[in-house]
Amino acid sequence: MNTKWVGKRVKRIDGPEKVTGELKYMTDYHFDNMVWGKVLRSEYPHAKINSIDIEAAKNLPGVICVLTHKDIPGFNGFGIVVPDQPVLCSDVVRCTGDAVALVAAETLEIAEQALSLIKVDFEPLEVVADAEYALTDSAPKLHPDGNLHSHVKINNGNIEKAFEEADIIVENTFYSPRQMHAFIETEGGWGVMDDEGFLTIRCPGQYAYRDRMQIARSLAYNPERIRVISSPIGGAFGGKDEITVQIYLALLALHTKGRPVKIHLSREESVIAGIKRHPFKVQMKTAAKKDGTLLANQVKAIGDTGAYASLGGAVIALAIEHSCGPYKIPNVDLEGFCVYTNNGIAGAFRGFGVNQVCMGIETHMDMIAEKLGMDPIELRKKNVYHQGEVSSVGHIVKSSVGTYKTLETAENCDLWKNREKYKSEVSEPWKKRGVSVATSFHGIGMGIGLPDYGAASIELLPDGTFLVGVGCEEIGGGNSTAYAQIAAEMLNCDISNIKIVQGDTQKTLDGGTVTASRSTYTGGRAVAAAAPRMTELLIQTAAEMLNLDSSQIDLKPNHISAHGEIIPYKSIYKYLYDHHQATRVEGHFYLPKEKEEIKGSGGAPHHLYGYLTHVVMVEVDTLTGETEVLRVVSIPDAGRVINPQGLEGQTEGGAVMGIGYTLYEDVLIENGYHKTRNFTDYIIPTIRETPLIETFPVEEPEQSGPFGAKGIGEVVMIPIIAAIMSAIYDATGARICHLPATPERVFNALKDLKKQKVQSSR
Amino acid sequence: MLVSEIDMITPSSLPECLMQLSKEGRIHRLIAGGTDAAVRMKEGKWRPEIWINIKNLHELRYIEESEDCIYIGPLTTHTDIIHSPLLQRKADVLVDAAREVGATQMQNMGTIGGNIGTASPAGDTLPALYVLGARLELTSLSTKRIIPIEEFILGPGRTVLKENEMITKILIKPQKPNEIGIFQKLGPRKAQSISIVNVAISLTLDQDLKCREGKIAFGSVAPTIIRARKCESMLPLGTLNDELIRNIAKIAWKEVMPITDGRATATYRRDMASALLERGLYRLIRRWNNH
Repeated sequence: MNTKWVGKRVKRIDGPEKVTGELKYMTDYHFDNMVWGKVLRSEYPHAKINSIDIEAAKNLPGVICVLTHKDIPGFNGFGIVVPDQPVLCSDVVRCTGDAVALVAAETLEIAEQALSLIKVDFEPLEVVADAEYALTDSAPKLHPDGNLHSHVKINNGNIEKAFEEADIIVENTFYSPRQMHAFIETEGGWGVMDDEGFLTIRCPGQYAYRDRMQIARSLAYNPERIRVISSPIGGAFGGKDEITVQIYLALLALHTKGRPVKIHLSREESVIAGIKRHPFKVQMKTAAKKDGTLLANQVKAIGDTGAYASLGGAVIALAIEHSCGPYKIPNVDLEGFCVYTNNGIAGAFRGFGVNQVCMGIETHMDMIAEKLGMDPIELRKKNVYHQGEVSSVGHIVKSSVGTYKTLETAENCDLWKNREKYKSEVSEPWKKRGVSVATSFHGIGMGIGLPDYGAASIELLPDGTFLVGVGCEEIGGGNSTAYAQIAAEMLNCDISNIKIVQGDTQKTLDGGTVTASRSTYTGGRAVAAAAPRMTELLIQTAAEMLNLDSSQIDLKPNHISAHGEIIPYKSIYKYLYDHHQATRVEGHFYLPKEKEEIKGSGGAPHHLYGYLTHVVMVEVDTLTGETEVLRVVSIPDAGRVINPQGLEGQTEGGAVMGIGYTLYEDVLIENGYHKTRNFTDYIIPTIRETPLIETFPVEEPEQSGPFGAKGIGEVVMIPIIAAIMSAIYDATGARICHLPATPERVFNALKDLKKQKVQSSR
Repeated sequence: MLVSEIDMITPSSLPECLMQLSKEGRIHRLIAGGTDAAVRMKEGKWRPEIWINIKNLHELRYIEESEDCIYIGPLTTHTDIIHSPLLQRKADVLVDAAREVGATQMQNMGTIGGNIGTASPAGDTLPALYVLGARLELTSLSTKRIIPIEEFILGPGRTVLKENEMITKILIKPQKPNEIGIFQKLGPRKAQSISIVNVAISLTLDQDLKCREGKIAFGSVAPTIIRARKCESMLPLGTLNDELIRNIAKIAWKEVMPITDGRATATYRRDMASALLERGLYRLIRRWNNH
């Protein structure tokens, strides 16, 4: 298809103001009459609250209000699926992130002082520090129904028979870290209530409409009288999908007599109170025939969701759905458990459970290839499912599938073809290099059982430009530019004539979340649904103005022409305005879904998946165990690419986040207390850990998507994890199944390897 | 003490600063680059009544050489050190170490006097100063004394500096043409990291790669920086070939007594003392052969 904007390297429409720092984020706002809010967090990971005494705090000069659970007008709880997390705890605290009281004061310092004056009589209870222990009878129950939040299962074929008939079986246990989103802008925002009781909450989030409903539920307040502005955001990655501070802001705003109240978490508070990626223990057993055909996969995954559910149940379900990779394995026995502990709170995070299982299946693919003496790409090509085939979870995949093509591209890329040469070019004699490949996939959209829709509006403005409104927030991924490209393409106008507004319940329609790799696809489709209505409006109006038939009207770039006459859009606006006619159109879209849910799977299968293959080269310092990723080749199948530059932003950012997950990052919690509290101890990659990253998109157009596009925001960080693990093995012979692969873990594995060699040579 | 209640005074000369330091009956602290002080203030650990801000005492920011001694002012930043041709020529190990401190922003703000005064067992410039035989001039309004850096640091964050004293000069011995040094650091990542183990090495070499004498100092493996005397005594045993290097490195783990913390276990730190010494000696010999 010949396009002017779609598929082109269009520079980001929000780029200049972000790069220059001109853009104001919510937490940048200051007002002369503003007051500061602070949250009192629990002292203990698990304790009974006997009493809360706020008198001294209330009497501190400069304190405006001190609130506890008694001051919540509505429901004291929040949570996207199950509202099991108290807004302010009344009887029990279940993690050190739990909120017990709120303060508003004239200055931040007075608010902090006031917190220290609140006396909470805690009675410490036994801490549940381990997910497997949580499932035993001896562990204290953290919630009325016990510590198992959810349990999902997928079974196909006959697993016992398959293992009996298998020529080769590999079996391992994998441990993955509690990754932190590490967004630059910590959770925060401000709230204000005007004289007439209209409440405005400006707080970065990933779904303004849902945040509004959660606020309304806790305040027992008419949601129509609440405006939530949730965009732009200084990073989220899933970490602002759940409520962060919106309800606290709303509660405080009820008591500050019209003065705006601001909360902005310190990094330390963000680490303790914010959600994290679920740490998993994954036991996996995979069987194959001599010719490399995969026969069976058995998976048991336990995810630690911490004190509250948030999206934990959905994370485990997605993990299980993806636990066999993009392959067709006829016999599977897959089981996942989402478990409550006192280890902070885990929730949504880019990848959403797939990271933790991909490292298992992809490591097993490499082990099988090695044992069979097969090329690892050949083995994968042999087992991938193609469009129209049955996946491992047992459904026919009707949407586009690019895995095979990504593997072919991997096979032919310079790094893979010349890997032996590159591996021999070590920088110092005690260093070793390895090159490996891994592939994965990721569902797009919500899966079965959850409504999934997109909506967009297009408004003709007085100056003849267009305002495109999409609910989905701009969380930094560049969806605003994609929307502008699609709108400009379909309205046949210059992209500078498109303005985008996002994430504002007053200005945009409810179009679902910015999660699940869905916002380009869903929001893009919604814009594409609204655009023809706008062109129709333009043509009809021009026809009316000129007294012509609409077939005589031509839509030209940036204007309308008829009978040699040029009608600029601002004239059309003026005509509509003068005649009291609507200047705004809407487009709605419902995401295609599978018809039947796989029983017990908690939402599988998805209708659409994005696919991606990574090739990486690492260099391991065998003296210290340090691993450096030197090169990354990222080969995504995102369907038709709307903006290659935007796609590269995703593949590069995803690769670096995957490197962090594999080599550096882990929020350590000991007995319920955080040990890594800020960026001094929580190590994320810097520019010096960032390798050369190449992106070679494989465009397998998806018929249902806008211009053939799919989603890619999550899978960009997934296969690289397994690829780095295997590259370390390729370099040194040491298999690391416990991430992150810190220098110490790699060094110890090398030490063990040496010992084994000494023993076996005896 | 609330941050908003803390005062700050900015003396305009060294005598004025010493005068301020001599005032009794109040709690004061020096602040220069603030790369440690601001962090500790935020953590609530350092909340003096008065900050004495010496950042602009330019008379304490210099690098000079005279009569076989290099003088470094305590307000010299890590970036100053990295860019000093004199130190590049005659104190290469210190330049190496300054390059490994935090990242560029911290190198721009942080001072060598601050790095010494903070006395962290993981302080990156300290092992380099140990192998360069650094001495410190400590001055109060009425006294002046010069002591070796080994005697200055008592333990983590603890020094012999009195309430009314400040570091006014750092004296180091310039390296001879046949001396070469190197600094090696193992952190959790390449930039912006606190050392898990670090080591500074300075050797006097003959043409045939025989070491006449050498100094080795480790950081992050004991309560203070420590010299590896046993390793040092083995350096002159023969030509510094791979085998001798490996043998010397193997001794290193015996000379250190690290602890386990969030960054690494004690066992790994011990192993890394050997590994960094081995890697450092290899790299040092390669550097020697290349110039």
